[in-house]
Amino acid sequence: MQMNRKLAGLVAAAAIVLTACSNSGGSAAPSAAAASGGGAGSAAGCKVGVSWNNYTEERWAKWDEPAIKAALAAAGAEYLSNDAKSSAATQATNIDQLISQGAKVLIVLAQDGTAIKPAVKSATDQGIPVIGYDRLIEDPKALYITFDNKGVGKMQAEAVMKAVPKGNYVIIKGNKADANADFLRSGMTEAGIPADAASATGDIKIVGETYTNDWKPALAQTEMEQFLTANQNKVDAVLSENDGMAGGVIAALKAQGLNGKVAVSGQDGDKAALNNVALGNQTVDVWKDARELGKAAGEAAVQLCNGTTVDKVAGTAPFTTPGKNNVSSIIIAPHPMTKDTLQTVIDAGWITKADLCKDVPAATAPAACK
Amino acid sequence: MAEASVVPESVANEPRRSARSLYSALEVDARLLGLIGALIIIWIGFNIMSGGLFLTPRNLWNLSVQSASVGIMATGMVLIIVSRNIDLSVGSVLTFTGMTMAMLQTQWLPSGLLGQPYTWIIVLAIGLALGAAIGTLQGFIIAYLGVPSFIVTLGGLLIWAGLAFEEASGQTISPLDANFQLLGGGPTGSLGETLSWAVGILACIGIVYSLIASRRRRRKYGFPVRPQWAEATLMVVSIAAVLGAIWIANSYYWPAALAEQFGKGPNTPVGIANPVLIAIGVAIVMTILATRRRFGRYVFAIGGNPEAAELGGIATRRTIMLTFVIMSTLAAVSAAILSARLNAGVTGLGAQAELYVIAAAVIGGTSFAGGIGTIPGAILGAVVMQSLQSGMVLLRVDSPIQDIVVGIVLVAAVGTDAALRRRAR
Repeated sequence: MQMNRKLAGLVAAAAIVLTACSNSGGSAAPSAAAASGGGAGSAAGCKVGVSWNNYTEERWAKWDEPAIKAALAAAGAEYLSNDAKSSAATQATNIDQLISQGAKVLIVLAQDGTAIKPAVKSATDQGIPVIGYDRLIEDPKALYITFDNKGVGKMQAEAVMKAVPKGNYVIIKGNKADANADFLRSGMTEAGIPADAASATGDIKIVGETYTNDWKPALAQTEMEQFLTANQNKVDAVLSENDGMAGGVIAALKAQGLNGKVAVSGQDGDKAALNNVALGNQTVDVWKDARELGKAAGEAAVQLCNGTTVDKVAGTAPFTTPGKNNVSSIIIAPHPMTKDTLQTVIDAGWITKADLCKDVPAATAPAACK
Repeated sequence: MAEASVVPESVANEPRRSARSLYSALEVDARLLGLIGALIIIWIGFNIMSGGLFLTPRNLWNLSVQSASVGIMATGMVLIIVSRNIDLSVGSVLTFTGMTMAMLQTQWLPSGLLGQPYTWIIVLAIGLALGAAIGTLQGFIIAYLGVPSFIVTLGGLLIWAGLAFEEASGQTISPLDANFQLLGGGPTGSLGETLSWAVGILACIGIVYSLIASRRRRRKYGFPVRPQWAEATLMVVSIAAVLGAIWIANSYYWPAALAEQFGKGPNTPVGIANPVLIAIGVAIVMTILATRRRFGRYVFAIGGNPEAAELGGIATRRTIMLTFVIMSTLAAVSAAILSARLNAGVTGLGAQAELYVIAAAVIGGTSFAGGIGTIPGAILGAVVMQSLQSGMVLLRVDSPIQDIVVGIVLVAAVGTDAALRRRAR
């Protein structure tokens, strides 16, 4: 009996101590909510909360996060974050957690740009500005910082059409719930790819088009195998919306001896994909220097912390979303990497020459590998 | 006892035997036949809808490779579900072991061991050992510490996936060792014509031998044997199926562009793909383990009635732990095949694989109540599901609809099975 009571007492004491410790961090929240837009304070008291959608993807931890952290550190602001593990519901909870931890500005990489709207609205209602990072959030008050995703799709299509102006095209798109998948596709349409198989009356025929759950490379490989079977290998070009899936596509082509003979596109600047460009297996890799994006988001967050309103942040321009909202946005230009322009990624310190040129035979090596 | 070994006179003398007694003389599991029937219906259906594209050697060959990894893991999952446990960590173990093997063969091994003809053996051995170690850890906590398997493997699902991300910082690791890649199939990673026929003939000899040996064993212990015509029918049908499958594998020819690269003549048969060979090998070993070894019978006993098994003197805890060791090792085998096929180690390699593996085992007749399940059923379950998915891509069905169809089929298959079982009682 004595032991039980002692134990209960210890546990209660521990609970009180823990709550006190965590509450001291959250005491900034009420004052931040009250002082919406006011205060000429330095960024020293500025806490920026970042909600990642799926931290396990290559680029966020490696490139975006360090850039955001650096921009925040340079201004003396504090960095908080959590990961929603590809669940929109978890992300909504995460946003609440960041607010209760005292975040004055939120940077949100949305898992589902529509499902996150209530959480975002709740944040902006409390006077906490929200930056929609890379993925669109259909909220008129959110600051949309992204690469020109439509432009990425356009660059992918242009580079592949230059290599294969006439022939059978397969389009491997990303996750259906990700607005980016459709942005990229509309960019391709702008560049001249037919909008769908039915309207393909010109030189370019679409012989296969599909979304890919979670942008999974292994799934893209199976999809490509089926498309090759369905068309008896008569495929001349594949527009893959990212590098991971391009890897799966190239694996499927390799099993049929078609790698290097069929044009393939990608984006993200994955090391393996850049190597494939050097090897000739991939035609173009649209590289978005995620460091530029992170830096822009970090700097914008600091300005928002200091009371600048969303439309007055440096470098913004109005943007009309597919949902017909007018948002302020910062759009950053991507760089298409083809065999000829690979030197850019080496110079930018994104990849070493050794990694880029791994196993590239001297006879067919691009200029960057010589 | 002597009468039992002779076909009852009434049946032997009757000129018109009923279909039911003919069928029961064959002693084939009804569920298995039902599954095979469903598979044939699906195949024919897709063939008609795709204008004859589905039942081509090429598509069937692709299908066999695509089903291999889930099939391998499903055989392990049967033992786990039969013994009234579950393993939700399978996908993450696959991802973790796959990523580790990728890192080993590209960066971690000392440079003297990289790029050698035997590198893949070292990498594979370490990968399998890692899988076994994970299985031992999880199995120990489940069997000896008494923590429910659902919880332990749920924790495993999170932990191993996180570790897989950490060890490569989320990067895609590619390309892999040239010899390791052969594990993934493709025309270069296949047996070719002669070896495929050799495997087929070996299989036929094995079937004949096992049918004859089983008949002899039954006679010896005084059990009733199948009538001779039943044995002959089974033998002929099995051999025809095996040889038919080999013939289909050999009707898939090297793609022209690849044949040129490797200096093969036109119409060179590809043969059985390595992943399929591995899957068949695993299936045979697991079937023998489950039906002809004490370990397997213990697993089924524990599943049928855990208390009775314990009281009867079975080392239940060690047996349970071993089922998890086997499961995680098989996940490592699948990891090798999948990453070799993709020629990359990616952080999402096994994401949600546990769902498909469990579905395959369950469609194949394994019951969550415990004590019932077959290995061949699990393999067929994996083939059924992959046929649906690949067939739907062939028909340009959108991916969300594919998910809906697979979900409906899963519930329908298990529901039918449960209804039939209830009626049989």
